[in-house]
Amino acid sequence: MDLEAATILGKLIGAGLAMIGAIGAGAGIGIVTSGAVQAMGRNPDAAGNIQTNMILGIAFAEAVAIYCLVVALLILFVF
Amino acid sequence: MEQTPKKKGWRWGFNRWLVLLFIVGGGIAAKYYAPIQPHVQLPAEPVPPVTTLLVVFAVLTLALTVLIKRWEGLLMAAFFGVLAALPLFSGFVWVNTLTALVIADIILLLMGFGVYRAIKGGELVPGGMPGAIEALLEALYNLTEGTAGKWTRFIFPWFATITLLVLIANWTELIPAVDSVGILEPAAHGYAVQDLGWAETIVKGEVEHGAEAFGLVPFVRVVSTDLNFTVALALIAVFMVQVIGIKAQGGAYFKKFWYTSTLFSKPIFGVIDFGVGLLELISEFSKVLSFAFRLFGNIFAGSVLLFVIGSLVPVFAQSMFLMLEFFVGLIQAIVFGLLTMTFMAQATQGHGDHEEAHA
Repeated sequence: MDLEAATILGKLIGAGLAMIGAIGAGAGIGIVTSGAVQAMGRNPDAAGNIQTNMILGIAFAEAVAIYCLVVALLILFVF
Repeated sequence: MEQTPKKKGWRWGFNRWLVLLFIVGGGIAAKYYAPIQPHVQLPAEPVPPVTTLLVVFAVLTLALTVLIKRWEGLLMAAFFGVLAALPLFSGFVWVNTLTALVIADIILLLMGFGVYRAIKGGELVPGGMPGAIEALLEALYNLTEGTAGKWTRFIFPWFATITLLVLIANWTELIPAVDSVGILEPAAHGYAVQDLGWAETIVKGEVEHGAEAFGLVPFVRVVSTDLNFTVALALIAVFMVQVIGIKAQGGAYFKKFWYTSTLFSKPIFGVIDFGVGLLELISEFSKVLSFAFRLFGNIFAGSVLLFVIGSLVPVFAQSMFLMLEFFVGLIQAIVFGLLTMTFMAQATQGHGDHEEAHA
């Protein structure tokens, strides 16, 4: 295998590995949403407030996955 | 309206047949012009500037202004004029995402003028588009008021502007021919070109030996898939968070980052508090990063998804994913605006008065 092919292979594998971090964000978003839906079921009057906070929590959990995406994009397109 | 007499005869609607026609037509078109595998490109591609079009727009709006005697036309004409003058600067490159931003700006300006005229007209209950925008803004205002309290009047314009701009910018992806109509340029991994008479298209298959391979550079690409836009928006948002923090608390705002008041009075926890302050400083920078890449990542991944689905299943499946993209664009616009609003509201409350508010 020549060097160029090896570099491309390494980039692709590296980008794929970098996106493993999205697992955590996925689990986090699931937990956040499950908690929020339960809260809305118990107290439907507070649904609006809970929904706002749920979206905020999802956004923060998602931020981690976005860092993974940044790393993967950096590996693929920059280096 | 409710009790319309039952119409006899055709009762199967009209639009659904159009949809069926488009699905069947799409199937036939996909048979003859098979969709090609997309070439994903991260940075925005340069396209020829649309200067002549903008000059025509500017002249048209000026003429319209004189004709209907409304000062809003002057603003629009100035907007087009400034845009048309941009390529005069050296080193300026007109990219295809900029065209999408201009389209989004025009839609936003028209919406704004429409609402202005509806309010100026003295109607207490505006109908149609202005009414819809009023309902949307009222919902956003109530949301802001619940979080920001007395700072609502300062925070709300930023929240609403960012939300509306990102919303319109994301939804330009749904306009037909965005991302798919453009100029053909020689490319390394390109495809063969076929002449349709009124246009040319790239077709699937191997390039004949000796012939040049071409790739497509679209005229319009969604602006949120350009990092320049999202980073700029994120910088504006985070900078204004600092501004409103200083405005609300004065110099005490910086105590959040450089917390020394408990450093000597509480030996261990003081040091921890100081370290937390330094972490806050880092988190301000990571806010820019996560703001910018959240929007960029979601919309870019969405458009890549549309390309790939379009090339794998050319018929019907892409419509489902367009619906998903519609939803994702809405969610991302709300998240961007909501996070800006929440950070701003947090910045107005200092360390001290947070506990007072709960007591």
